[in-house]
Amino acid sequence: MSKQSTIKVIFIRSLGHFQSLICTLRSVICALCAMLFALCLFSLEADARVTGRCKDCHNVRSNQGAAQTSVPSTGNDCLACHGRSPAGSENIIIIGKSRFPQVFHHMQNNDLSAGNFYYVADSFDPDYSRGHNLVGISRQQNPPMDAPPGFMKSILIPGGMGPAYWPNQRQLNCSGTWGCHGNRTIEDPFKSIAGAHHEDDSILDGSTAGKSYRFLYGVKGKEHADWEYMASPINHNGYKGAIEANSMDTISYLCGECHAKFHPSPNLGGREEVGQAYDAAVWRRHPVDIVFNSVRGGFANSEYEGYVKYSLEAPVAYDKPTGGENAVDSSSIIMCLSCHRAHASPYPGILRWDYSSMTADTGKSTTGCFTCHTKKGHE
Amino acid sequence: MRKRIFSFLTISSIAVLFTLGMTGSGLAAVAGDCNACHTVYPGMTEKTFHAKPFEYVSREMFCVKCHSTGTSDTIMELGGNRVPIVFNNSKPVKPLAGGDFYYVVFLGDRKGHNVSGVASRDTEFTGFPPAYSRSLDPSSVGYNPQKPLTCAGSNGCHGNRNIEDPFEAIFGSHHAANTPSDGSTTARSYRFLRNADAVKGVTGLEDDEWNQNASPKKHNEYASSIDILCRSCHGGLQSGHAGRQFNHLAGVPIPVNGEYIKYKIYNLDAPVARETVPRVSSDVVIPGKDLVSCLSCHVAHASPYDSQLRWDYDNIFTEGERNGCLICHTGK
Repeated sequence: MSKQSTIKVIFIRSLGHFQSLICTLRSVICALCAMLFALCLFSLEADARVTGRCKDCHNVRSNQGAAQTSVPSTGNDCLACHGRSPAGSENIIIIGKSRFPQVFHHMQNNDLSAGNFYYVADSFDPDYSRGHNLVGISRQQNPPMDAPPGFMKSILIPGGMGPAYWPNQRQLNCSGTWGCHGNRTIEDPFKSIAGAHHEDDSILDGSTAGKSYRFLYGVKGKEHADWEYMASPINHNGYKGAIEANSMDTISYLCGECHAKFHPSPNLGGREEVGQAYDAAVWRRHPVDIVFNSVRGGFANSEYEGYVKYSLEAPVAYDKPTGGENAVDSSSIIMCLSCHRAHASPYPGILRWDYSSMTADTGKSTTGCFTCHTKKGHE
Repeated sequence: MRKRIFSFLTISSIAVLFTLGMTGSGLAAVAGDCNACHTVYPGMTEKTFHAKPFEYVSREMFCVKCHSTGTSDTIMELGGNRVPIVFNNSKPVKPLAGGDFYYVVFLGDRKGHNVSGVASRDTEFTGFPPAYSRSLDPSSVGYNPQKPLTCAGSNGCHGNRNIEDPFEAIFGSHHAANTPSDGSTTARSYRFLRNADAVKGVTGLEDDEWNQNASPKKHNEYASSIDILCRSCHGGLQSGHAGRQFNHLAGVPIPVNGEYIKYKIYNLDAPVARETVPRVSSDVVIPGKDLVSCLSCHVAHASPYDSQLRWDYDNIFTEGERNGCLICHTGK
């Protein structure tokens, strides 16, 4: 072989080696990217159980109360962590590695998704119509508001049956039978939620209080990592709704466990109390757990068709929520939280907006009621 | 004939030794050189009045004088006897099971019991013990808040708590028969913890080195009767009498489900009590049978940590080493 041919062969072989090296490098990079992606995906699904220093929550040596608290002897142990500084300006308090959502604080315009008990707190300037009157925050209201409006006895709830009656002057707790969180078949507020904070909640299947959305036993959903602090229309809580109001794992069913006459489920208010939910629906009260596709007259060309982008002000639920939904369509579901907050709000009726300012046909508003009722705010 | 006698003696000796071994503690009563203990300090046995039986002077110092040392050793040799040390003036190398009063003397009141003759009176708990409830104290005398905490007697833990005088409360126990270990007398009670006549004395298996060289296999074994003793002075912590206190679980079986079932190997940092005191210490923990005890979290005398805890509660994290609370709370 001539010298030139030899050089040519060597060059071609070298080129070949170089090309195979490039291919190898590409494969390695691809593999690394895949691993990184998997790690990211894994971290999104990582559980959010409470971790950190035991002492930050469990002040077992306290002689004053069961836990550290800035509000001594309130009779409400939850506030020791979730209402640490009612006059303070933090809606999430960080101690060590633990983050505590505050349901009772004075941070302006930054209430978390459920609202702020500040608006009904006796220690400030309360208006009891703006929220739930919890033990340790508000005094009990006078009858008839000393029992949940729409209460029905012995209804079906996750884990068993609701109470047979609501005792006179029985005030609301955070959890337990006379509350919302935890297992409501257990009366003691502490016992009803015991163990939930440390449970692996990477999958919210509603099987235990710890594996339920916001420890609301039986409820499914997607929890925003910061309780909707700085949420956006593409990053928010994912609320579970029912297409045909027959499921016990929705957030609206949870509300219906106390306010049963407002929910169309046959286990709750049903047709008799709520009205005919489907097929020429005539609602006696505002609909919940009803999908847009089932509205009277059909979804197509209805005013609801105009609600196309997720609104944090009037959120909707989904059958399989992810917390990243931006689109609202015929499969979106109206729920209690479309109009109300869970804890307390600045507005009467625990509404998300000032109902007294809702004026139809002015051409001025697309918010509040008009988020869904898109043809009533303006022509 | 000689062979028969020899065989008889051999067999008898073996039988005696075997019997002594079966009783657990064997002949653990104090023996040896009298002077070593009974003249441990000058004037200890001085006559006080002519023709009257001699009396011990400075009796309240007895416990401390024998059971303390200026060194860091926690077992001392005294007249042929091995004496457990509960108060070292130098930092103890291997504290015994009850801890060491060194910590309350040198690190502060929150580290342990402020026993008279060892530590000055607690600046916070100046009267009754925390969460004391007279109705839960089986002593016929009851705790006297005008007097300090003592090693023994109605204002203490050891001896017969129906007797106010600490010396009288333990008098004779060191030399008395300590078997069977049934709590019927002070000597027959675990670590001389007789409590009061109304209840049985504390029972348990006494490690022959007071846990100085303890391991998961070799250690004291506790019974729930020790929790009854603690409750005699701190009863409010369990009954809710003290208001909204942390629920001090004691005498409760370790649950058979949840995170607790993973606690299977005895841990000296979170010991359990037994339903039935075994003859030999064991490293096995049986959820559903073995019990949470006061001593699961606390030591009896004093520890390096606040509230006489076995570990530093300020530095227990759910991440990292699984120590302290996390020995039982394995799921946190």
